[in-house]
Amino acid sequence: MLCLTGFQSLAHSADYKKISSGMGSVAFFQTQKIIVTGTVVDENSRPIPGVGIKSLKTNKSAVTSASGKFSIEVENANEQLTFSYIGYASQTRAAGSGTSPLTIKMVPAEGVELEDVVVIGYGTSKKSDLTGAVGTVKAEQLQERPASSLNQALTGRISGVQVNTNSGRPGGRANVRIRGFSSINSSNNPLYVVDGVQLPMGNQAQASQAIDYINPNDIISVEVLKDASSTAIYGSRGANGVILVTTKRGKTGESKIDYNVDFSVPTVGPNFPKVLNAKEFLAVEDLAYKNMEKYDPAGWAAGKYVTRNPALARKDPRLFDGSGNPYFDTNWLEEATQHKLSQNHELGFSGGNERTTYSFSVGHRNDQGLIKTSFLKRYSGRFSIDDQVKTWLKVGGTLSYTNQNENLVDQSDQVARSIVEDFPFLPVQYSDGKYADNRDYPNAEGRFNVVHRLNDTKFLLGTQTTLGSLYSNIKFVEGLEMKTIIGANIISQENNEYSGRTLNISDQGYAAGRTRKEAFWSIENFLTYNKRFNENHSITGLLGISWQKSNFNNISSEVRGFATDYFEFNNLGAGSLNPQVGSNKSSQALNSYFGRINYSLKDKYLFTATGRADGSSKFGKNNKYAFFPSAAIAWRVSEEDFLKDSKVISNLKLRSSFGVTGNSEIPPYSSLSLLSSNFGAVINDVRVVGTGINRLANLDLRWEKTTQSDVGVELGMFGGKISLELDLYYRKTTDMLLDAPVPRTSGYVTIRKNIGSMENKGIEAALNTTNFDSENFTWKTSFNISLNRNKILSLATPADIFGIGGPNFTNPTNIIRVGEAAGSFWGLTRLGVWSEAERAEAAKFVSYRNGNTILPGDIKYLDVNGDHAINDADRSIIGNGSPDAWGALSNNFRYKNLDLTVELQYSVGADVMDMTTHSSEDRQSLANSYATVLNAWTPQNQNTQIAEIRDTRAGYVTNVDTHWIKDGSFIRGRNVLLGYTFANSVVQKMRLNRLRVYVSAQNLFLITSKELQGDPETTPTGGYANDGNNVFSQGMNWHSYPRPTIFMLGLNIGL
Amino acid sequence: MKINFILMKINITKYISRIFLVGVLLFGSGCSKFLDEQDPSNLTPDNFYKIPEHAEAAIAAVYSSSRFMGDGAGIFSSNWQLLEAVTGTSTTETAQNSDLNNLYGLVYDSNTGHVINYWNGIYRVIAQANLVLDNVPGITPMDEAQKKRILGEARFLRAWAYFYAVRLWGDVPLITKSQTLESEDFFPKRASVESVYALIVEDLIAAENAGLPWMNKNGRVTLAAAKSELAIVYLTMAGQPLNKGASHYKLAADKANEVITYAKANPASIDLFPTYAEVHKETLKNEKEHIFMLQYNSVVAGNPMDNMYPNFKPVTFNGASGTGSTVPTLEFYNSYETGDLRAKDREGYFYSSYFTNGNGALFQLGAPYIFKHFNTIANGSSGVAGTRNNNLNVPVIRYAEILLVYAEAQNEVGGPTSDAYDAFKRIRDRAQLVTPAMGTYNQSTFREAVWRERWHELCYEQITWFDMVRLRKVFNETTKGFDNFVGHVNQSSDQPLQSKHLLFPIPRPEMQNNPNLTPQNPGYQ
Repeated sequence: MLCLTGFQSLAHSADYKKISSGMGSVAFFQTQKIIVTGTVVDENSRPIPGVGIKSLKTNKSAVTSASGKFSIEVENANEQLTFSYIGYASQTRAAGSGTSPLTIKMVPAEGVELEDVVVIGYGTSKKSDLTGAVGTVKAEQLQERPASSLNQALTGRISGVQVNTNSGRPGGRANVRIRGFSSINSSNNPLYVVDGVQLPMGNQAQASQAIDYINPNDIISVEVLKDASSTAIYGSRGANGVILVTTKRGKTGESKIDYNVDFSVPTVGPNFPKVLNAKEFLAVEDLAYKNMEKYDPAGWAAGKYVTRNPALARKDPRLFDGSGNPYFDTNWLEEATQHKLSQNHELGFSGGNERTTYSFSVGHRNDQGLIKTSFLKRYSGRFSIDDQVKTWLKVGGTLSYTNQNENLVDQSDQVARSIVEDFPFLPVQYSDGKYADNRDYPNAEGRFNVVHRLNDTKFLLGTQTTLGSLYSNIKFVEGLEMKTIIGANIISQENNEYSGRTLNISDQGYAAGRTRKEAFWSIENFLTYNKRFNENHSITGLLGISWQKSNFNNISSEVRGFATDYFEFNNLGAGSLNPQVGSNKSSQALNSYFGRINYSLKDKYLFTATGRADGSSKFGKNNKYAFFPSAAIAWRVSEEDFLKDSKVISNLKLRSSFGVTGNSEIPPYSSLSLLSSNFGAVINDVRVVGTGINRLANLDLRWEKTTQSDVGVELGMFGGKISLELDLYYRKTTDMLLDAPVPRTSGYVTIRKNIGSMENKGIEAALNTTNFDSENFTWKTSFNISLNRNKILSLATPADIFGIGGPNFTNPTNIIRVGEAAGSFWGLTRLGVWSEAERAEAAKFVSYRNGNTILPGDIKYLDVNGDHAINDADRSIIGNGSPDAWGALSNNFRYKNLDLTVELQYSVGADVMDMTTHSSEDRQSLANSYATVLNAWTPQNQNTQIAEIRDTRAGYVTNVDTHWIKDGSFIRGRNVLLGYTFANSVVQKMRLNRLRVYVSAQNLFLITSKELQGDPETTPTGGYANDGNNVFSQGMNWHSYPRPTIFMLGLNIGL
Repeated sequence: MKINFILMKINITKYISRIFLVGVLLFGSGCSKFLDEQDPSNLTPDNFYKIPEHAEAAIAAVYSSSRFMGDGAGIFSSNWQLLEAVTGTSTTETAQNSDLNNLYGLVYDSNTGHVINYWNGIYRVIAQANLVLDNVPGITPMDEAQKKRILGEARFLRAWAYFYAVRLWGDVPLITKSQTLESEDFFPKRASVESVYALIVEDLIAAENAGLPWMNKNGRVTLAAAKSELAIVYLTMAGQPLNKGASHYKLAADKANEVITYAKANPASIDLFPTYAEVHKETLKNEKEHIFMLQYNSVVAGNPMDNMYPNFKPVTFNGASGTGSTVPTLEFYNSYETGDLRAKDREGYFYSSYFTNGNGALFQLGAPYIFKHFNTIANGSSGVAGTRNNNLNVPVIRYAEILLVYAEAQNEVGGPTSDAYDAFKRIRDRAQLVTPAMGTYNQSTFREAVWRERWHELCYEQITWFDMVRLRKVFNETTKGFDNFVGHVNQSSDQPLQSKHLLFPIPRPEMQNNPNLTPQNPGYQ
C-alpha cells in the first residue's frame, strides 16, 4: 500500500474526537464522470471528519468534512475507493454508480492499530508497512500524567527506551537511553526532531536539552526510531536513536476550543532516608567521644581530644538547658519542604475548512516544587497554519515560543544534603531571627542549615525558546512531491546566581550573570515519489538534501564581595572583589544528502533501503563526509493465503534490518591543533594570561559508527485483542570517539581519536491486550519489557578509564574497562566489621585508619592479594547502574463513564551506589547521620556491616565498597488515575463537546530493597550534574532532590 | 549533483520550473566553505608566537603550570601531600582520601592519584617550557635582553620540573622539544638519571647566564634562584643515587656561597627574616629569605596549603572548615629541642591555640598544627578580622635552606669550617637555641647536626622526603639520631621504609599508554 501522503497532515491532526451531528443532504451531479458522495461514520454511526478517501486507480483523493461528508470524482462504478482513518481499519469498496450517497461505517482497528499512520524520518508510513522498529506514544497517553517535559512523560512508554527521571524538581532532568550506551566521550542522548526540524544538542545550561523547552501539551504524537533502518536516514546523528515529535495542527471541520487544566500538590515521596532525632544524635555523639579513647589511645592520653568533650559543646543557652538537654528536635525534611499548589493551564483553538486549517494554543504552567523556593514557571504560545494554496501547492508553518523560569535548588548538592545532615537539636532560627547552622556547634563540619541556604541562594535559569518552521509541499505530478522545510530554533538562556554574605563567607557574597544563546537553522528539501504499478508492485522513493548550522555563544561574569545582599545578581558592579569575565563562541555545520526506497511486493513482502551522506564541520579535514546505509525486509505472513482467514492470528509480520548510523556529538574544533589562553599566572601579584598547551590535531577525525541489526516480530491475535511486538537487536559501535590518552610526557592529556568499540545487545517486547470488552466495561493491559547488555570491546590503550561518573570522593567510583559494562562501579569488598575474636588478625593490617592500629570495630575488607594492606590492588568491579530488565505494566479499566488507569514502572537488577553512606553512616559527630548507625558495631553487636561509632578525628574508615552498593530493583506506582467523562447527553446540555474530570497520584508507592535508602532512580547532583559526568553515573546516589508524590486534579473541557 | 539531475528529468510542467529554479539557486550552490571550521575562541600554533607579547604569554603559561603541586588530589587532599605523607613527620585527622591513606601507610602503588598527578604536572611544566624554548627564539623583532630573559626563565622552570622527576622516579623520559603526534619521542623510553641531571645542570647554567636580576619581587625566576637551585642540585648529585661525592659537594658549597656572599653584601636584598611570622606573611612575598616561590593570589588561585588546618576547628574567618589531612605527628613536634622558638605556639612553625573564627577568643586546639603556611592576614589574628583572600605564596627555596646547603656541603668538603659553622648557627640563633662551640663538632657530628636542623627548619616544605632519599637516612624522633632509610619506622603509620620506597612507581596509566616506558621501578607493579 502506498502512504497516503496527501492526507498525512490531516490524518495527524489535533484531535480524534468524533463530532455528533445528523446526516446532511447529499449533493449529486450526473456528468460524464461520476461524482460519488457519501458520509463516513464510526461504529456508533457518528460522522468522522478527516477520513481520507482515495481512488486506487486514479490516485484522486478527498477528505471528509466536519460532518463526515465527502465527494469524489471517479471514472466508473467499479473503481475501488479506500477509506482510511487513524485507529480504524481501512476499507475498500466499489464507487458505485453514484446514484445514491454511500454510507461507510468504519470499524475500529483495536489493539493492533494496523492502519495507524506513524511518522518516520522525512515522511509517514502505515504501521503495517513499516520494516523498522518504531515505538509510538499518543497524546492521550501523555495526558494521563501531565509532565513539564517530554522526557519525563516518556518513562515506561516504549520498550527499549530507558527514561530515568533523576530529580524530583519540577522540570528535573531525565536521562534517556535508547538501547543502551553507544558512546563514552560523545553524547548518548537521542536526536530529537520536532515537526521535521532537528534540534541541536548539548549546549544548554545545566545539562538541559532543547527538548526540555517544548510544551508536552502541544504534542500529538511521539515516535521513537530504534533500529538502523529507521534511524539511518538521520545518518551521523542517528546512532542513539531518534525521537520524532509531531505537534498539534488544526483540522478541517468545526472550530474547536479545548481547555485543559490541572492542579497538583507535591508531598514527600516514598523511601526518604531516616535520620537520627535530637536525642539519638546526642547519644551517638556521647558514644563517639567515649570511643575516641579506644581508637586513638595515644592522642587521648596526650589530651588531644579534651576539647572535643560534648559536655563542653552543649553550653549554648539558646539550644540546651543547664543539664545539656536540647530544647529542639527539628525535622529538617519538614522544614525544607512545602506543599504548595501547582497549576497548569492549556487553552487551544483549532479549526479550518477544506483549504486552510489552523491551531493556536497558549499555556501557563506554575510548578511549585517540593523543596521550598524551587519552582518552574512557563509561558508558552504556539501557532500553526496549513493552507492548500493550489491543488499542487500546500504551505504551512509553525511558530512556538516558550519562556521558562526555574530556580534550580539542586544545582548544588548542599540543599538535599543539609536535609540529612542538619543537627536535629537546632531550630531553623534563633529567637533573634539569626539562622541556626551546624557550624554554630563546636567542631562540627561547617554546614549551613537548609532553610538558610534556600533563602539566601538563588540559581535562576531563564530560557526563551523560539522554534519555528515553514514548509511548502509541491505536487509535481500525481505521486511526486517536493517538500521544503525551513526550520529555526533559537534558545536564549540567562542564568543568574547569587549566594548571600552569610553563606559565602570567604567571598562575602557572590553573584554571577551568564547568558548563552544558540541559534540553529536548517533547510531541508526532499522529493517523495509514490507509485503503485499494479496489484503487485508499489514503491515509495525519497531523495533529499539538507543544510544545518548552529551558532553558539556565551558570556559570563561573576563578582564577589558585596556590602549587602540587597542587589543579589542585579547589580554586579556593586561587588568589589575578584570580578571575572569569560566568553566563548563556536559554530558547527552539517550538510547532508539522503534517500530511501520502499518497495512492496504483493503487500506482503516489504523492502526498504536507506542511505545518508553527511558532511560535518566538526571532523578532520581528511574525513569531512561519510555515508550511512541501511536495509530492511519485512514479511507480512498474515497476508499469505494460509493465514489470511485464520481466526486466531489477525496479524503477523516478521521484519529484519541492518544498517550503520553515526554519532558526531563532540564539541566543535576537536580536530584542530589549538592553544589555550586560559592559563592564569600570578606575576607581580596580578593575573597574567598565559597561552600554551591545549589540544593535538587529528585531521583524520571522523564519526563514531554504530552498526545495528534487528529482528522483529509483530503479532496480532483475535482481531487485535492481543498484540505483541518483539525485537532482538545487536548494536556495535566502532571507531568510537574517544579522548584517547596520550603519554603525558608530551604535555598533552588526550587526543580525540576514532578508536575503540563497544556493543549492546538486547531484547524488547511490548504486549497489549484487551482482556474484557463490553459496552459498559473494558479492561486493557499493556506491558513492556526491555533487556540490554553493554560491553566494552576495545579502548585506545589497555589503560582503564577512571574519572567518569561521580562524585569521585575517597577514590574512583566508576571504571571503563575492556570486557566489562561501561561505567561499572569500582571499589573494595566490605566483609563486615572486625570482631573481638579477630583482634590479632586485624592488627596485622597496614593501617587504613589514620595510621592507628586496626581494631575490632573497624571495617573489615577483603584483602584480595593477601598482603595485609588495603589499597588499589584490592579493588574490583562491584556493580553496575544499568538494569538487567526494565519496563512498565499499565492496566486500564473503564466502567461506563468511569475510567481507572494503574501504571507501574519496574526495573530489575540495577545497582545503586549510595555515596551518602560515606557521609551519613561511615562517620559520625561531624554532622547528623542516618538512623542506620544505631545498628553500629558494639562488643554485643558484632555481626553488622557498620563500624563502631567514634568521633572521626580519632580515626575512621571510609572507602567505596560493596556495602555502599544496594540492589536498586524496584516497582514504582508511577501513576494511578481515576477519571470521569461526562455523557454526551449531559455535555451537550452544557453546550460542550467534551467534559472530563480526573484525579491522579503519581509516584504513589515504591517497592524496593529494604537496604536501599532513597529513590533508586538517581544521579548525583550539584557540581556533578553535568552531562559529561553523568553519562555513567546513573544509579549513583549523592543527595538528589527528593522525588515527591504528586496528587493531581484535572479537568478537560472541549467546546 | 545527483539531485539536480533527477529534478531535471521530472521537470516537465511549466509552472513547476520556476519554483524548481528557486530551489536550485537556494540549495545547489555556494556550499564549498560550509563545512570549514575555525575556532574563534582559541588560538592555533599557526597564529601565535609572532610578537614579543606572545613570548610573555607563553612564559606565563609555564608559571601557571608550575602550581600543579597545589592542585587537588581528590577529596580533602592536595598533590603536595605526596611529599609529606611519606616522611612520617605528619599524619591525618581524616580518612576520607584513600590515596592519601595509602601514602601514609606506605602502601601506595602505581595507581595512587598523587603519584599520577605529580607525573602529569611535571611533564606539563616541561611541555610548556619546551613550547617557549622552541618558539620564542623565532620571534622577530624582539628585544634580545627580553628574549634571553624569557628563555632563561623557561630553562630554569624546565630544570626545576626535571629535578622533581628524577628524584621521584629515577630514570625518566627526557623530552626537550615540544611534541606533536609525529614527534620521535612521543612514546619515549626512560633516560638515565645521569643524562637527566646533565640537562638540569645545563638548563640552570643557561638560566644563570640569562641576565636575570639577583632578586625580583614580581615572583619571576631570579639569578639567586638559579644559583640556589644549582647548589641544591649539586648537593643532591653528590648523594644518592649518583654519589658524585666530593666534587659535587664542592660545586654545591661554592654555588651556595655565591648566594651567601651576595646576601652578606646586600642584606636588604637577601637575608633571613628576623621572625618566623615574617616567613609566612603575605606582604613579604619574593623577598629577602624567599629566593623562589610558587605564586598565589586569590584572583587566580588562593594558597593551596589549607589541608594543614585542623579538622573542623574554627581557626579562620571561615569557621570550622579545615580537613586536618596534614598535621604534625606528636613525636616529630616533641623532637624539637627545649626552648626552640620554632616549636613555640603561634610564634614558630606550629600553633596549638588560635582565635575563634580567626579573630575571636583564643581557644585550645588540643594538639600542635602547622603554622608555617598559616596566613594571619587572610584568616584573622587577635582582634583583627581576616581579609579572607589567602594570597600567601608557597616557598620553594628559602635562604635558610641555602645556608644549610652550604654548611652541609662545606663540611663534606673539608670538615666544619667557620663559614659552615656560621651558616648553621644562623639558623639556630633565630630559633633562640644555644649552639655548642665550633670546636665541639667533628665532621661527623656536624653533619648530623646540620641534617637535624634541616628536618626542623625545612619541615612541611616538601623538602624532607628528598633529604631522606639522597642521604638514605631518616631522622629518628625518639633518639634524635639518624636511622638508615631502609628499616626506619615512620611514626605516623608504624610502617618500615623499604628499599623500593627510594623511588615512586611510574604511574600505571602512563605505562599502559606508552609501551616504551619500561621497566617499572623495582618493587612495584
